[in-house]
Amino acid sequence: MTSNVVLTTGLALILIGMWGLLTHRNILRIIIAFSVMGTGTHIMTVAIGYVTNGTAPIIDRALNLSEAPVRAVDPIPSALVVTAIVIGLAVTAVMLAYAIRLYQSKKTLSIDAFTESKW
Amino acid sequence: MMRRIFAVLSVAFFGLIFSSLAINYTERQSLRPLAASYVKLVPQDLGAPNVITGILLTYRAFDTLGEVAVLFMAAAAVGLLLGKSGQGRRHSPSKISDRAKSSSEIVQSGAQILVPLIGIFAAYIIMNGHRSAGGGFQGGAVIASSVLLLVLASARYQIDLEFFSVTESAAGVFFVLTGIAGLIFAGGFLDSRVLPLGQFGAFISAGAIPFLSVLLGIKVGCELSVIIDRFRA
Amino acid sequence: MAEMIGSVLILLGAIFHFSAGLGIFRMPDVYTRMQAGTKASTLGNLLVLLGLGFFHPDWSLKLLLLIGFVLVTNPVSSHALARAAYLIGIPMTRETQVDVLRGARKRRRETT
Repeated sequence: MTSNVVLTTGLALILIGMWGLLTHRNILRIIIAFSVMGTGTHIMTVAIGYVTNGTAPIIDRALNLSEAPVRAVDPIPSALVVTAIVIGLAVTAVMLAYAIRLYQSKKTLSIDAFTESKW
Repeated sequence: MMRRIFAVLSVAFFGLIFSSLAINYTERQSLRPLAASYVKLVPQDLGAPNVITGILLTYRAFDTLGEVAVLFMAAAAVGLLLGKSGQGRRHSPSKISDRAKSSSEIVQSGAQILVPLIGIFAAYIIMNGHRSAGGGFQGGAVIASSVLLLVLASARYQIDLEFFSVTESAAGVFFVLTGIAGLIFAGGFLDSRVLPLGQFGAFISAGAIPFLSVLLGIKVGCELSVIIDRFRA
Repeated sequence: MAEMIGSVLILLGAIFHFSAGLGIFRMPDVYTRMQAGTKASTLGNLLVLLGLGFFHPDWSLKLLLLIGFVLVTNPVSSHALARAAYLIGIPMTRETQVDVLRGARKRRRETT
């Protein structure tokens, strides 16, 4: 039940980010929509690995060595998401650098002003 | 108008696909076979209580090396887009008078309290990667946040770009050298059993995993700090 | 009984977080948005952590340290943002009456 709620939240965040990406004209709002979409993807990926009544896959007081294969949560999606979050930060930094250079060239932040790549 | 219709249609289309995913999803009752084998193998073969760090730094370590390469590419892209030539960076500090660009007292006092705490916390996260939740990537991001606070708090703090670049490259080189040592002395590239496994759950244990965590934390921290520094005016 | 108090506190914290988001959406200019966002979300954070302390009493010391950390960092960061926004010249709405930093833009331009 919990992972259903978390999965739906993640998918809803992806849809909200996609809507913001396609609708706004200001470059910074588009970058924020990308970030929201990325967060939604991370939440969805972690939610898929849930096992009912499971706990974190770390052997400590809460999880013995012998009962680990039965009660632990899937570690692989968590491992993927751990690096994905830091990579998302770096990609957002690249997008912001692009926004700065675009603003310096045309003094406006609306993407309607940049029509060189349109056919 | 057409743009708006197109946006609505594509979001509705994805909404349909996602709703079918969400409706047909049932929680698993037991682990998948690959995950069960990882949860059994990591404490037993590698001696690391944290299964996720064991996966990231031994069984899927090549992917981690690829992620490090992606981070390097992002840092290079930001450097290309926002970097000034050597002449621009040399001349600007002398023109800024101290009063104009200094931050307020609140930020300076806050930075005086917070930067040591953040540094200790980052070191704790990195060193405990193999025992409880943590690891190299997370600790590196926290190091970069402390550098960001320093940059915001004092106007005259210029980070030493040479030092950060050399440190980051050296950490990357040692990472690959440890991998090659794994190829010679143990099972394969980036196998963490080159160093002795030690006692389960001790501070220095689990082979080369703490060493690799430290190198990863240094590399990621320096890279993100350089990215943050490029955004200065 | 303790769980009931904890649940009520967490619900109050969630309400404050929602009001922070609503404030960011509806306020007229940058400064009022930042004020709404920071104050309400810091209080929401505090209430959620306090409610969690009722569920797990042996985590109390760690949660108190977390609350202290949030109380130090959130206002400092929003202060830095608001000050930077004023100094680069972002306009305020017309209803603003008190302007503590009134001469700061001119002083900054004189000394640069």
